[in-house]
Amino acid sequence: MKIETLKQIIKKKSLNEQFAIITNLSNGSSEIFKAESSLSKNFINFKNEIENYYNLKKNGIINETEIFIENYFKPVEVIIVGAVHITQYLIEFLKNLNFEVKVIDPREYFVTKQKFQNIKIINKWPEEIFKKIRTGSNTALITLTHDPKIDEPALKHALKKKFFYIGALGSKKTHKNRCKRLKEDGFNNKEIGSIHGPIGLDIGGKSAPEIALSIVAQLVSERNKSIKI
Amino acid sequence: MTQSFNSTILEEAISWIESGQQVALATVVQTWGSSPFQIGSKMIINEKGKFLGSVSGGCVETSVITECLELIKNKNSFKKIDFKVSDENAWNVGLACGGEMTVFIEQIN
Repeated sequence: MKIETLKQIIKKKSLNEQFAIITNLSNGSSEIFKAESSLSKNFINFKNEIENYYNLKKNGIINETEIFIENYFKPVEVIIVGAVHITQYLIEFLKNLNFEVKVIDPREYFVTKQKFQNIKIINKWPEEIFKKIRTGSNTALITLTHDPKIDEPALKHALKKKFFYIGALGSKKTHKNRCKRLKEDGFNNKEIGSIHGPIGLDIGGKSAPEIALSIVAQLVSERNKSIKI
Repeated sequence: MTQSFNSTILEEAISWIESGQQVALATVVQTWGSSPFQIGSKMIINEKGKFLGSVSGGCVETSVITECLELIKNKNSFKKIDFKVSDENAWNVGLACGGEMTVFIEQIN
């Protein structure tokens, strides 16, 4: 592989572009492939196969060829509402698992008094932020404040935009009341049922890092279910 | 949907090369059965055997490093290596999990 190709990979990855690296294992040549981009003579004979794997986001050696393809696609963006203690551990876990993270908390106190490293907390209300950023099926929402006036506008937005994953912290009772309010606001049972609440896999944990772990485990398990390989 | 391009490894590879080292890149390109690491897992190795990243849970690393050192020494540009449990080297480098994998090694230049 050429060092220029390596530099291109790093640049494209930092820009969150979707692309693939293709390598001809019989002659060692490799290049970057994007939808509708042209292929060099090393790969042109396998155009259809490469496009097929690219569209399926499938990695590996293409059947009956010597072409290896590795896809890169935008990581899931996780929006965490609430700059609480659990959030610190969530950030730590998520950064090692290829998720993008944003933390929103409108409460001045939490933003200034909680210690967060390497991440800037957005000190705004969720509804203000959601007007400005692009969200959708590649976004996950984790609400942690269990304050309805902060969490629920975010949950409603996530339901409308069909987020990839929606989880809300709170006891069974809190969640039941939350579901009731969402129903009154016109959401149907299927939509409300798509919210993971109480959030996280049941690992019997009580401490902040344990709760963060159970949330991340659930998120990763949902991400893995969506892979079609 | 997981992503195996580890920018840290690739950025490190560039910095090694720019400081005058020779670097080989090893990538898992195929796996069969139970195999510890997914396709696309990567490792970089310099001419002195210093390495970063991994291609298995430690089962085949030593062998991959040896092959990369030879690749650099002989100035070859690439090689495809198959690791099988039934391989004659099984006692040395075989995959304890019973899986099989192919690792592609190439010199970065």
